[in-house]
Parts: sequence; structure tokens; C-alpha cells
Amino acid sequence: MRKTIFTMMMTALAINFAFAGGYQVRLQGNKNTGMGLTGTALNMGSSSIFYNPGALTMMSQKLDFSLGASAILSNVTFEKSGSNYQAQTDNKPSTPFYVYGAGKINDKWVVGLGIYTPYGSASVWDDNWAGKLLIQNIALRAIFYQPTVAYKINDKIGIGAGLVYATGKVTIEKGLNYSPTSKATLEGNAASIGFNAGVYFTPTEKLAVGIDYRSKINMDVKDGDATFTLPSALYNTLPADNKFDASLPLPANLDFGVSYKASDKLLLSLELNWVMWGTYDSLKFTFKEKGELLNSSNPRLYRDSFIPRFGAQYKLNDMVCLRAGGYYDPTPTNEDYFTPETVSLNTIAFTLGLSVTPVKNLTIDLSYLQLSGMKAEKSYAPDNFSGTFKSTAAIPGLGLSYRF
Amino acid sequence: MKYKIVVIALLFVGMWACKPELNEFKASKGSADFSVYMSAGNSLTAGYADGALYKSGQQGSYANLLAKQFEQVGRQGDFKIPFVESEDGVGNRGAGLVTKMKMGFSTDCKGTTSLAPVLANPNASQAELFALLTTSVAANGPYNNIGVPGAKVAHLLAPGYGTLNPFFGRFASSATASVVSEIAAVSPTFFTLWIGNNDVLGYATSGGIGDVITPIDGPPGQGFAASYEAVLQSFGQFASSGAVANIPDITSIPFFTTVPYNAIVLTDQSIVDFINSQYAAYNQGMELVGLPYRINFSLGQNPMVIADNTIPIPDGVPIPKIRQIKSGELVLLSIPQDSLKCAYWGTAKAVADQYILTEAEIANVTAAVTAYNQVIAVAAETHNLALVDANANMKKLASGGIRVDGVTFTNAFVTGNVFSTDGVHLTPQGNALVANYFIDAINAKYNANIPQVNVTEYPAVVLP
Repeated sequence: MRKTIFTMMMTALAINFAFAGGYQVRLQGNKNTGMGLTGTALNMGSSSIFYNPGALTMMSQKLDFSLGASAILSNVTFEKSGSNYQAQTDNKPSTPFYVYGAGKINDKWVVGLGIYTPYGSASVWDDNWAGKLLIQNIALRAIFYQPTVAYKINDKIGIGAGLVYATGKVTIEKGLNYSPTSKATLEGNAASIGFNAGVYFTPTEKLAVGIDYRSKINMDVKDGDATFTLPSALYNTLPADNKFDASLPLPANLDFGVSYKASDKLLLSLELNWVMWGTYDSLKFTFKEKGELLNSSNPRLYRDSFIPRFGAQYKLNDMVCLRAGGYYDPTPTNEDYFTPETVSLNTIAFTLGLSVTPVKNLTIDLSYLQLSGMKAEKSYAPDNFSGTFKSTAAIPGLGLSYRF
Repeated sequence: MKYKIVVIALLFVGMWACKPELNEFKASKGSADFSVYMSAGNSLTAGYADGALYKSGQQGSYANLLAKQFEQVGRQGDFKIPFVESEDGVGNRGAGLVTKMKMGFSTDCKGTTSLAPVLANPNASQAELFALLTTSVAANGPYNNIGVPGAKVAHLLAPGYGTLNPFFGRFASSATASVVSEIAAVSPTFFTLWIGNNDVLGYATSGGIGDVITPIDGPPGQGFAASYEAVLQSFGQFASSGAVANIPDITSIPFFTTVPYNAIVLTDQSIVDFINSQYAAYNQGMELVGLPYRINFSLGQNPMVIADNTIPIPDGVPIPKIRQIKSGELVLLSIPQDSLKCAYWGTAKAVADQYILTEAEIANVTAAVTAYNQVIAVAAETHNLALVDANANMKKLASGGIRVDGVTFTNAFVTGNVFSTDGVHLTPQGNALVANYFIDAINAKYNANIPQVNVTEYPAVVLP
């Protein structure tokens, strides 16, 4: 078991993530994924470390472990404005994952640790596509490590908080107009800290309410590697190897959730996520050498987005649980500053889930998420680049949870 | 139950993981008929670039790019181009023939090596280049692209023009053919015409001394207006629709804007004093005859001393007809850089008139371009043709430039992406930009929807 977790993590680390809604990925629990990715007012075990640490206090068992991963199979099609030119991304499947463990110290206190991947982005366009001077490919991945404590104030209210240590890696390639094969490759790492805190409240036996706040984390790349592939004549002007600084914000989230046990078998969940994308104003690159030629400030002008979600769980019997859900994720991007590096469209999503408990304590969680990015004509005004985008993603997921 | 759901889930994956479909663009020919397209004009239409006519340059001409896009709106058959079967090509420079240029390294008189246009093959023999230029390819005609490097509007009407201009002679169907007489064999339904640049460019690129500006008035074959009308009528016998492009302000092309007027940089006061002492007599003489010309150098950048035969020095007075260039006047890219750097051109020696476009010459050029464009605008209206406003577009390139799909297009030499290493003709990327200007004008005029060319597919000036 330990070996499997380890192998799975190692595999996941090597692979990029795709996303919906900016570059956020909320696949942090396969049970939650099946229910429209809700979780703020749900008590689904140790995945509450991400969704709402306050809910950990209501864990039924003494110890709860869960782990899982999803495979994001995404496609974007682009058609240039005023032209029949089309391009499609060739994204490799990407695999966000999570590992959680939580245990009760006593009746009041719970501690836990979560490792998960809430942000990521991967777009692979052809090296010679029409937008090659904007982006050829981008891979962005962040891993969050979150030690967590939760405290049960009374039988109705639990609070919890975790410190987040985030590491990230970004790789960007874009073409340059100096020759057909000229390009810039930027690679950088970043690490930063933040927090995740939540309150879980059960006013009645059937009703639960949750609020969770995850802080903004700025991923500051310092001394990232910039490699310029240029005609050799230009190396007098632009060094082949350079260093760069950049900063990418991972926005704060404020989530509100309500869940209601309609019957012994049926659980309903409603949620609203406020994603504070407004913080993503521009993407700036500062280079160590030849900054006067290379430094750039690229407007993004994102705005906050509000994502309504719903989910339902039906307990067929002691062995099988069925789930379904959906949500609408409006794009945080600006109409005039939409870049093909993050093709974030207004997205409609449907989810399905299934849990099977073949033996006592062990549950297998399957989930399936279908995203449809709605067709829209967008432009990136500074480069006068415009076209219509449409995207789809199919995301099957598999998880295990073990509690005793 | 579990398996059933897994199967359903897999079905979903199969259904939805497929590529999203888009069909936003609906190509339409509107009220035009693109079935047979023919293009006429000068070197720009022929695809002349980097100082020569060569195969990939011809393939990259805006006319050939248009032909490709017109396939989406009903164009049929081959778009035949009289190819020069060579990548080094052949061009005219001064007295002799040369290959094309490319960016390379050249070492100047001071021993400094820098990135500059150099001949692709400096060892090509005149005989070899002459053969390349004069070998007839007429047998493979008739040709759809009849752009002829060097042609002025009146030339298109001239029978036997091929005997004067080998760039036409090489594909002319007979020794007595005129360019417009080639139209009948193709019988186009749609044509483009971009002509008139050379009617003023020859004057301008020779510093106002090597050629005369074509007058507006005069019979077909002489005057601009009547000749232009006659060319349109030749096309009008076959084609019901077409596009004409007007003439950009040629003084804003890199050939005229690259070398600064104040290129003389002095850093040593003793040299400044010496030069000024040499012009003391000139300045005194000018004062005596009551003319405002003075020559004065100082530390830093200085305007060149140039020859100007229009200076009204009274007969018999021994003052040379030279002066310092004014800031609005233009130095041509053809000026020998080594003479400027090492042979005291612009200081001790006046730069010859053929390398300078003076204020008066610029005014002549501007007046001619304005007059030609009036003729072209009226003709487009009369013949119900799309008008491509190359003049307005060139103004945008010269005043800050424009950005398309991340490419910045300006009138800058080499780095502006529009103009090739000769400073006059277009890069493949510049041709793509021009093709889109044609497409925009044609779409608007004929209510058509021709897809635009993708500019990033084509290179600008390629560096070594």
C-alpha cells in the first residue's frame, strides 16, 4: 500500500495538470468530485482537510486515510477570426492527485496532513500554430502540503485550520519572430506559504453549513532559467542563457456550502465558491540581463468568479453509494486580454460518482467529470490576436479511502 | 451495477473527449467571380525581394498568397507564375546583375564586422546571371502573375516591352507582346493591379536625378491617367471584378529612412575646429552673396554636407553648390557606407545628389503620389473595383506600426518585418500583411468572405 501511494505520487509529479476556471483544479477528493466538486458542508472524511478543515471534527472513525488521482483528458479547438484557420491543442493527459490522513487525538482535537494539487495548467499548441508568438506550450503545477488541526467547540460546531506550504513549477515556451525556429523557454520553481481555515456547523441533525477560506498564495519565481533559441547573429544582443523573475498569484477562495440529509439514503449539497481571481492583474517578467529589451508586463485583468455547485449522493446499500452533480464555472478572464496560454471559457460541468465498499473500512471511489467550455470569440488585444475557442475535458478519477 | 456505471462512464469519455468542433467561418465569393485570377503590377506583384527575383520570393508574393486564399471562394486551376528556377535569383543593381541579398556579416573600412545585407552569392558570373534572366519560360505560359519588375504604368501597354525589360522578355509570349496583351490568353474573371510605384520610385531611388516622374497628363503610353485607364480597360474586356491598390508614400520605406541625415558623429573638438576652418571661406562667401547657407560642425551628431545644384549662386562666383542637409531631407540606403565612414563623405566631401532626396525632391514625390492616388481612386470608383489603400496602411507602419498575431510591423529596415534586405520590397511576412489588405478591401467591396492569410506562417527577414 505504501509503495503504491509512493509510486502514484511520483508518477503524478512528473505530469502536468489541466484546469477549468483560470488555472484552478478542484479535484481534491473523488467522493466530492462525484457530487459536483462540493465539500464545504460535507463530512466525507479526511478530504475535509482541503474542503473544510472544520468538518474534520465530525469524522465518525478514529483514523481516516484517503488518496486518489484523476486523469484530465482535455482538448481545445481554436479558429482564427476572419479565417478558416484552425488549431487544436495536443495536451497530454494530466493527473492531479491527493493524499490525506487524519486522526482523532481525543474527543475535541483532530490532526491531519494533506498533500494535494489545487492549481495547474497545461496547454500544448503546435510549435508553428498561428498564436506561436503568444504561447507554444505552458505547464504549470503546484503541490500543496497542509498540516492541519481541528477543534470541536461543541457537538454542533467544529473549526479547523491548516498551514499550506506550496511548491510550484512553471514551464513556458513561446515563439519569437527572429526566424521560424526562434523561441524563448522559461522554467522556474517557486515555494510559498498560505493557510486554509474553515467552520463546520450542524444546526440540526439533517442540516450542515460550512464556510471555508483558503488564502491567496503568490508563487514568486526567482532566478528561473530563460533559454533563448535564436539565430546565432543575435546572441551578441540577447544571451542564450538568462535568468528571470516572475510572479503568479494563486487566488484566495471563500466557499459557502449547505448540505441536507433528505432521507437516510439521500444527501443533497449546495455550494458557492468565490474565487478571488481579481488579484491576477498582469503577468510580469523581469530578466537579469538585457532587461531593457526583454522585460514585459502582460495584462491579464482577471475578475473574481462565483461558481455555483450542486451534488447529490444516494446510498443504495451498505456496499454501494451513487453520486451526481454539476456546476457552472464562469471564466475569470477579461474579454480583451484572453490568451491561449489559459483557455478558460464559461464552463458547464456534470459529474458522476460511485463508491463501493467491498470489505469493511475500505472504500473504492470512482468519479467522472465532464467539462464543456462554451464556444466564445476572444482576443488578446496587445498582440491583436483573436479567434473562437471551444474546449472539452473528460476527467475520470479513482480513489481509495480507509478508515477505522 | 458497478460495471454498468463504469460502461456508462467510459461511453461518456468516448463521446466527450473527442475534439471540439468549430465552424465559424463561412467562405463566400459575394458578388465577385474568382474562378480565374490574374495579377498585374511591378516588382512587388512579381515577388521580387532582397534585391532579386528568386523562386521562393515569387512563391511568397502577395498575389500568390491571394491565389491560394481565392481557392476557398471558387478559384480554379493553377495560378501560373513565371518562376526563375533559382533560390539565389537575379536582380539589377547599378550597372550589373547580382544575386539576391541575405543577412550576413560584412567588415567595413574601419575593420568593424557587423550584421548587414550581403550578396547570397557574390561570385555569380554576369554570364550566368544574364542567362538566368533571359532564358525564356514563355513556353510554359500563359501566366496568371504578370507582375514585371521595373514596370511603370505606361510600360504595361507598350508592344515589344520585353525587348527593353528582360523581366518581361523572359515570359512574354512574343517579341511584340505587351504586358496587357498577355491578359487574353488567361481571360481572367478577377484581377488585381498594383502599379504606379515605379512612376515615381525611379526618380526617388536615384536621388531625383536618374529618372523622371511620369506626368499625369498625356496619351496612353505616356501620361499616368490615360495609361492607367487603358490598363483597366484591357482587364475589363474579360474580368467583371477586381482590386486595385494605390501607391504608398514611398519616402517612408526603409530605403529612405534608414540612414539618418545627421550621421556624421564627431567626438574630437580639434577635428570640429579643423572642419569648421575649412568652411570659413564658404560661410563668408555665402554671406557676401546674401544666401542663408552656412556650414557649421559641432561635437556630436552633424548633418552631412551634400551637393545641391539648385543653390542659386550667381554666375562667376566661386562658391561650391553644397550645403548641410536639413533634418527632413532623406539619405538613401544606396549611399556607400565606407565612403561615409572613411573617405570623409559628408564632411570634407559633399555627398553626391544621387544619394539624397532634398526637400524639393520630396515635395515632387509627394505631389506625384497624391496625384496618382487620385487617379487610382477615381478609376476604382468608375470601374467598380475594390480599392486597397496601401498609402494609408503605409502611414500606419511609419507612425508606430501595427501588431498582428504578436508580430510588430513597422517601416524599420530589417527589424520592421515588412521590408526585405533591399529596403524597398516585401518580406514573405510583409506579403502576407499586404495580401490581407487586399482581402479586406475585396471582402468589403464585393460583400465576400475570403479567409485571411496567417502572417506567422511566413518568415520576415531571416537572420544568420
